[in-house]
Amino acid sequence: MSAASAPALRELQRWFASVTTHPQGVLEGGFNPKRSKQLERLVTPGPQLSAVERLQIYNDGYFARLVECLTDDYPALSYALGESDFAALARAYIEQHPSRSRSLNTYGKHMATFCRTRSEPWAAFASDLARLEWALVEVVHEPVSQSLAADVLSTIPAAGWQTARLLPSRGLRLLAFDYPVNLFFQAFRDEREPELPQPAPAATVVYRQGLALWRMELQPRAALLLKDLICGVPLAVAVAALETRSIDVKTREELARLLPQWLGSWVQSGFFNGVELA
Amino acid sequence: MAIGHCANTRVTDPNENHMQERFGLRNLGIGVGLRTAHYREILEHSPSVDWFEVLSENFMQTAGRPLEVLDQIAERYPLAMHGVSLSIGSTDPLDWDYLRELKALRERTRAHWVSDHLCWTGVAGRNTHDLLPLPFTEEALLHTARRVREVQNFLETPLVLENPSSYVEFSGTPLKEWEFLKGVVEMADAGILLDVNNVYVSAKNHGFDPETYLRALPMQRVVQIHVAGHTDYGTHAIDTHVGPVPDPVWRLLARARELGANAPVLLEWDAEIPSFAVVHAEAERAREFLGNVDVAGAA
Repeated sequence: MSAASAPALRELQRWFASVTTHPQGVLEGGFNPKRSKQLERLVTPGPQLSAVERLQIYNDGYFARLVECLTDDYPALSYALGESDFAALARAYIEQHPSRSRSLNTYGKHMATFCRTRSEPWAAFASDLARLEWALVEVVHEPVSQSLAADVLSTIPAAGWQTARLLPSRGLRLLAFDYPVNLFFQAFRDEREPELPQPAPAATVVYRQGLALWRMELQPRAALLLKDLICGVPLAVAVAALETRSIDVKTREELARLLPQWLGSWVQSGFFNGVELA
Repeated sequence: MAIGHCANTRVTDPNENHMQERFGLRNLGIGVGLRTAHYREILEHSPSVDWFEVLSENFMQTAGRPLEVLDQIAERYPLAMHGVSLSIGSTDPLDWDYLRELKALRERTRAHWVSDHLCWTGVAGRNTHDLLPLPFTEEALLHTARRVREVQNFLETPLVLENPSSYVEFSGTPLKEWEFLKGVVEMADAGILLDVNNVYVSAKNHGFDPETYLRALPMQRVVQIHVAGHTDYGTHAIDTHVGPVPDPVWRLLARARELGANAPVLLEWDAEIPSFAVVHAEAERAREFLGNVDVAGAA
């Protein structure tokens, strides 16, 4: 091929990208006899590799790089499915969601939704686990705001309780699950080789303090309260709503004991960065 | 190729004496590529390191922990920024959102310079996150040099371009890689990040003599040098940044220095990353290959 007949740069780049990102590889996917001639004309053989082998290095690298990125973001999911199934899932994800960003920081954000669409028996569990792992990624990239003073609740005037709203930190995620994925994740982190669990409702908060990421398992009632507070429901209203759900005296007494513990713990953990008194 | 006849471009005389060596940028000494695995060690113990190179995109599209770590490191060490997604040779339009974020990051970190690769990473809006090879044609050279100019004007600093490793060559291209690199940086008045490991890898993959490559470069434009390891598969080599720097790569560093590359050296180690002490000790080996050059962080 002479220089004069070289394809324009734009044409060459589009061709090269289509071949080197083809999911079936250079040969099996983006290759046919007609195209082969074009390919062999464009890409020269090397000292020891054919043109196809040289191109395949880029194709292999493309998928390996993005699979590695997804494995970094979803280590527990990778463990849960096993290396082979996870790699297949990741490659399907890459086909469905080619990167359009300059950074890989948010590349894996669709994984939970993507898992939900799968037909494998693990789909629902995988989706829950992916939501937990993605929350950890998201919280890494959220700023840590000034936490409230530990005694902030005691400084709210009595007249203000009906309207006082706690302002949630940006780096706070409350997640409700159909599977106990936080327990699974912890067992994975502890290298206890957990089995895939049976369904069981669970709620987990993911948050950050300083450089450290934390996960906190919540009781159902605590999760309901926190959900209301995050949604902007005034503190007194959210507490009252919880009390009305407590049907017997014993439960109410228990709630009265737990409420200050929950709220104190949440404030101390930096779940909130302000109080809005309407 | 008649580079000198291109309209509306300033062509720098290859034998120029008026250009300030390395654009007057400070020789930072021997540095290490900053990696997440070493954050804790660096923050807790502040090891004695001349400088760090940070991967720009790791600190973009984030408002959280990466920047908090980077701020602390920038307070203690000189930094340079090294990108992988500028895609300077792509036929897609320049990504101005990316460039604005890049510029803001440089201002935040007070990085001494900004580098990326002489390549393209995607087209038609998709990013492969790979350093894809350009055809060494006049069209690609003019296209790339024009974009380098645009980026430099926006960033208000010379752009430093690294020679990537490559695994294919395109037929019908009139230039050699080193001629292409030299042409782009001289036409755009840009700097070079000379990766001697990439020279070695590409020489193995394409069968050229690394000495020819090095001798052709305008060494006064070499702002920084990379050393790294690679994986040799016998039939070809891949730039994996794994393991210690092989001897032939160290020898290329020494040769580049003999040919006038008076630039700070940085070690990249990205696979099977050992402790920071091991990485740093490997980087410090560069001093053995640099002769009497002052790379102790002199201004």
